[in-house]
This record gives sequence, structure tokens and C-alpha cells, in this order.
Amino acid sequence: MMDGGQTSTSAAPAGNSSDFVRKLYKMLEDPSYAEIVRWGDEGDSFVVLECEKFTKTILPKHFKHSNFASFVRQLNKYDFHKVRQNNEENGQSPYGQNAWEFKHPEFRANSKESLDNIRRKAPAPRKQTQNTEDSVPTQQIDLLNQQIVAQQQQIQHLSDRYAQLTVDHQLMLQEVMRVQKTVLNHESVIHQVMAYLLSVDARQRRDSKAAAAFQAQGQAGSTLSPSQVATMDDEPSSPLQQATKLLNDMNAEIQFNLVGLDGVGDPSKAAGAVVSGSGMDGASRNGVVRAPPGPNPALVYSKMNGDVEPVVYPVGATNGIDPMYGEHVKNVPYPMPKQEVDDSRRQQVQQVQQVQQVQQVQQVQQVPDNRKKSANVDPGWARSPRILLVEDDQTCRQIGGKFLYSFSCIIDTALDGLEAVTKAQANPGYDLILMDIIMPNLDGVSATHLIRQFDRTPIIAMTSNIRSDDIQLYFQHVGMDDVLPKPFTRKSLLDMLEKHLSHLKVASQNMEASQSAVPGTMAAQNSAAHSIKEDSSPGQSPATSVNNWQSPGQFQGMTALPHNMQPVQSQYVPTTPGPAAYAVDQNGVQYATPAVALAPAAPAARPQVRRQLSEMSSAAENPGMAKRPRMYAHPSQPIVSSMQAARTA
Amino acid sequence: MSETIDQNTFEQILEMDDEGDNEFSKGIVFGFFDQAESTFDKMEKYLADKDLGELSSLGHYLKGSSATLGLIKVKDACEKIQHYGAGKDETGTNDEPDQEVSLENIRKTLTQVKKDYKEVEDFLRRYYGEPSS
Repeated sequence: MMDGGQTSTSAAPAGNSSDFVRKLYKMLEDPSYAEIVRWGDEGDSFVVLECEKFTKTILPKHFKHSNFASFVRQLNKYDFHKVRQNNEENGQSPYGQNAWEFKHPEFRANSKESLDNIRRKAPAPRKQTQNTEDSVPTQQIDLLNQQIVAQQQQIQHLSDRYAQLTVDHQLMLQEVMRVQKTVLNHESVIHQVMAYLLSVDARQRRDSKAAAAFQAQGQAGSTLSPSQVATMDDEPSSPLQQATKLLNDMNAEIQFNLVGLDGVGDPSKAAGAVVSGSGMDGASRNGVVRAPPGPNPALVYSKMNGDVEPVVYPVGATNGIDPMYGEHVKNVPYPMPKQEVDDSRRQQVQQVQQVQQVQQVQQVQQVPDNRKKSANVDPGWARSPRILLVEDDQTCRQIGGKFLYSFSCIIDTALDGLEAVTKAQANPGYDLILMDIIMPNLDGVSATHLIRQFDRTPIIAMTSNIRSDDIQLYFQHVGMDDVLPKPFTRKSLLDMLEKHLSHLKVASQNMEASQSAVPGTMAAQNSAAHSIKEDSSPGQSPATSVNNWQSPGQFQGMTALPHNMQPVQSQYVPTTPGPAAYAVDQNGVQYATPAVALAPAAPAARPQVRRQLSEMSSAAENPGMAKRPRMYAHPSQPIVSSMQAARTA
Repeated sequence: MSETIDQNTFEQILEMDDEGDNEFSKGIVFGFFDQAESTFDKMEKYLADKDLGELSSLGHYLKGSSATLGLIKVKDACEKIQHYGAGKDETGTNDEPDQEVSLENIRKTLTQVKKDYKEVEDFLRRYYGEPSS
């Protein structure tokens, strides 16, 4: 394989003395080359002084090629050896650094006859079998060289490919982010559309179902067991309801117990029948409520939920209404001027149009409120906060998710710390992370520690172990921001959100403004309740309104309240600047309207769910019925809805 | 029932039900039934294996969900099991060096909590209009 020099093949086989050697000798006889190639000083060697010139000018002339390496190989074949100067005289060749000196014992100046003794040393076959020390290494080296080249190509290929993949990956990531955003947007659009469709649907159903609801009422009187009543009000869910359910499932990542769907013995349905029978078809409350006939008392009730206690336990409640929490004000039981109903109608339209103007704080706050079912409290976010809920226990996760959903949050869940870290890494858009502490795979403290390496999203520990040294660990060592004691309540959870997500509130630059708008919202509902009671309930269902008025002596508890609360309310109003003026107006009128209006009904039917629970549990053992007053509030909700429905229709 | 179920806690879950049904709360509650029963089974197994660590962690696990539902008695018992399993007394403040004592405590508590659980389960099943199992 070394046989490569083009000339050597033709030169080697010729004559006794080799053609190549003759040419070499002849070349050296030419004195004009002395600067480039000449005999050595001793005459027993020859020296190539200028390698480059030799290759370019002399080789082509004498050997018909311009490959110095081939020339050297040819020399080697004839057993010429390069004279190495390196080991003597400090590596200095007497002919200069770049000189190549070659020697053969029979190759001497002025000794042309000895040229015949210079033979090509190894014929091709012998080379392979015997001359292992010479040719085989070169073969191997050549082979290795080829391999190295091949590998270099492979490496080059791989690194090119890697670079390409990196770029692709980046693109994919961006694309995924984009898709994620789109999905979120779509989700909110779907919610908006659903809200609108539901409002339309509810309006239609209200009309068609009113009669049926009436009938149910007659029997549901108050003595039937819930399961019996439920069968009478066995409403098939409309496609809309199913869609809504799907949405809810997705959002709260909740797996419903489908067994519960058959509706038999479903107490809330029973209660729904009772309520709707009373002629206060609350389904169309604000035009957006889902269930066609009759509101679920549980839902209506929940409007009053959470921190209502101070309101509903007038006796012994010292704290009263906290103006900083809209929910409190929501529960102010006194009525508001009628005109407010129109307001909320208008806002509903705006909601459909997705009007979200910060200046119109009050309206913006009402928008989501209208859209949601009554259980949902909208704390007035400028946009829905994205929450990562990290919790291994299914029950806690479902309930926490549901609560968050009711606060208009977008929820993502992780089942353990490992998943939490992965999700936090993959999705930098969380506004808050709720972190259980004790979890399988990776605990909450470690997960927080890891997340803190790349992210500053507020992380709230959820734990039942609230020992001070633990807290120290959570805060100082891993950088958690707060602790939410377990089991958390809706209120404690909402407080936590409001504390850490105040920047997401509408008009967060003016917190008070956004807070003070709430009273108006709530007052509107109360006023609606009031006015409905006067206007529509007699007209809509004269018969039932007599028997079934939901607000019996129920309101006894409440009637006392306006007086208790007025000072609180009015105290509060002046302290809030700007938008508070609005509340002042409302309240001013409010106070004028007598709360007495609520009093005169008879305590006929109470929502069955509550009742049952109360009776089975506390009521039986505790006739004081401490919880009862909480229930008294909700009749006002159905009234609101029927009123608004009436106007809508 | 009031010392068995914390009404405020349970009601705030009922409040999350959709209008016209109570699938949500029912799903949660019945899901808890499954969870509780399988946890009790595991506790029996680890009791036989004398694995205090697992018992403690199971106690903690069930404590969380029962507390979230407001099932006070079950929650309290689970907390005790958590403490016993951790080699403490029932309040979790003092050490209990004797493994056998801890196991015996858990055995007693487990028997009791099963009764308490059964009571609250029957109540809730009735509440949701299902025959008690």
C-alpha cells in the first residue's frame, strides 16, 4: 500500500541498477541545484537543503511528480536512511535546520559504479510476510489514521446533530409555552362563553320549569324525606350542565364519585325542590346559575360562608363586620335601593363583553361574581392567580382545589414534592405555591429548597405541625413565605391568597379602593333581595309565597343585625377614600329601608340539607341551634335571582 | 354528632357543591371512606408487623384528610396513633421508650377509631341518602 508514488512503479523494475537511483545520481551531478540539493560534505550522503524548492522545481523535472513524501518513501525502499542530527550537536544539522540528509552505504559521490549495488530492498510479497518491523507498522498506522479520520467525522456529525437538536428543543419549548398560554386563554374564553350560555339557558328554563317546581313544592312541604323529594325534582342535566361539570373537573382536578349522580336520596336536590317550590326560582339568579330549577341551598348558603360567623352570631359576637373583607359586607342583611338591581344587570352584560377596566373597580369586581355560582367569592383579581397545590392526600387536595377554584384561581396540582419541583421548573408562571410538608418521595421542605434554587414564587407551607422550630426551618432555611395551618378553612386560605397576592388585585395601587367597592357589590344583592321580596314574589307565585316564605322568623336573627352593624359600617365608610363615596350612598339609602321588611314570613320550609344536618346533629342535642342563624341569610339569595331573572326575561 | 363532626368545617365543604346536587361533597366524603378503610387495613397489617414508623405515618396521613372534613374524633385518634408510632405518649410530648407499650396503645386506639369512624360513616351515608354499609 505504500507503493503509491506514481513514478516509483515505473522506475523500480528497470535494469540492474535502479532507474530511481540513477536519476538521483544524475540530479546530484547538476551543480545548478547546489543551493537546493547537493552531495553531503563527506560525499557519502546527499542533502536536500530547501525542501520546498526541491519539491516544486526539481522533483517534477527528474521524477515527474511533486510529492516529497513519495520521494522519501522511494528512498526508504532503496534502503536510504535519513541521517538524524538531533542526538548530536544539540540537534543542529550542519546543513541548516530544515535540511534533510539521506545516506546509503553504496551511494557516494564519484562512485557511479557502486550504484548497481543499491537495490530495492523488499519485493512486495516479502514485505508482507517478513518485513514486519517496517511495513506492518506503517500499515497499522495508516489503518489507525483512517479510523481516526472516520471517528472525527462521526464526532463532527454528532456535534452538528446535537447543535441542531438543541435549537429544535429551544423551539419546542417556546412552542409549548405558547400553546400553554393559548390553552389558558381558551380556557378563560370557554368560561366566559359558558357563563353567558348558562345565563341564557337559565332564563329559558326558568320559564318552562316554573310549573313543575310548583308541583314539587306541594309535596315537598317539609315532612318528606330528602330522597323522596329528590325523585320528584329529578332534572336531567342539560348539555350545558355537563359542560360546566367537565370544566369544573378539569379545573379542580376532581374526581367525582359518580355513584352520587343517580340522584336518589340526594338531599340537596330535595332542598332545591323545596326552594323552587316557593316560587323563588333562583336558578336564574344573575342569569348565570346552572341548575334550572331551584338553587341549591348549599350554594346559596355559601354566599354567606366562611367568615360569616360574626354576622350570624349576633349574640356574643364582638368583632362584627370586618370592612377589609368583602365577604363580611356581603352578608350585611339589610336591603338596598332597587336601582341596584339594574346595575347588576348592566354589569352582567359587561361581563359578557369582558370589560375589565381598572378604573371601574366596582364593576370589575362584580364581573366575576356574576359569572360564578354563588359559592364563588371573587376577591377582585386583575387576573386569575395561578396556584400550584402540592398535596399528597386526595381529600385535602380536592377540597383545597375546590376552594381555590371558588376564589377564581387557576389551579395546578402536584402529588408530591418531586412533582412540584418538576412543575415549578417547567412552568415559571405560578403566582403562589401551596406546599404540604409531609409527602412521599420528596417532602415539602426539600421541594421548597430545590425550587428556591431557581424561583422566588411565594411558597406557603400547609401543615398541622406548627411548632416554632419547624416554622424556623420553613422560613429561614428553605425560604418559605408563610404557614397555613391545617386543616385550613376557606377563610384562612383566602386570607393567605389576599396577603400574598395583593399585587394581583384590581387597583392594587389603591387597595382600599378595591376593598371599599365590595360593599357596593354586596349591598346590591341585598337590596335586590329586598326589592324582589316586595315586588316580584307576590306576583310570581302568590300561593307559595304565603306558605313557603323562606325567611320566616329566620330573620329574627338578622333583624337585630342592621342596628348592630350600622355603626360599623358607617365608621368604615368615611375612612375609605375615593370610591368609598359610592358605598356611602348605598348605605345611606340602605339604612333608610327598614329591615323589618324581611321579617314577616312564616318559617315553613327551610332548605332540607341544612335542616337535616342540624337536626341530626346539633339541633337534636343542642336546641339552642347556634348554627341556625347562618341559614337565615340565604332566602335572600333566591329572591335575588328570581328578581333578576324576572327583569332579564 | 357535634363532637364527631365539626360542623363549620363540614359545611364549608357542602358549600362548595354545585347547585342542584352535592356530587362534590359526596365524592369527597365517599372517597374518604375508601381512604379510611384501606388505611385501617394497612394499620392492622403494620400493627402485626410491629412497624411503628409506618403506623405513625399512616396516622398522619389519615389525620390530614379527616381533619379537612371536620371528622374530629377520627382526626384525634389518628393524631394519637401518629404520636404513639413516633415513640411518644398520646400528646406527643413525652417519650415512650417501650415499643410494646406503643403498639398496645395503637391497638387500643385503632379499635376505638374504627368504631368512631363507623359511626360517622353511617351518619354521612344516611345524610347522603345511601343505605349504611
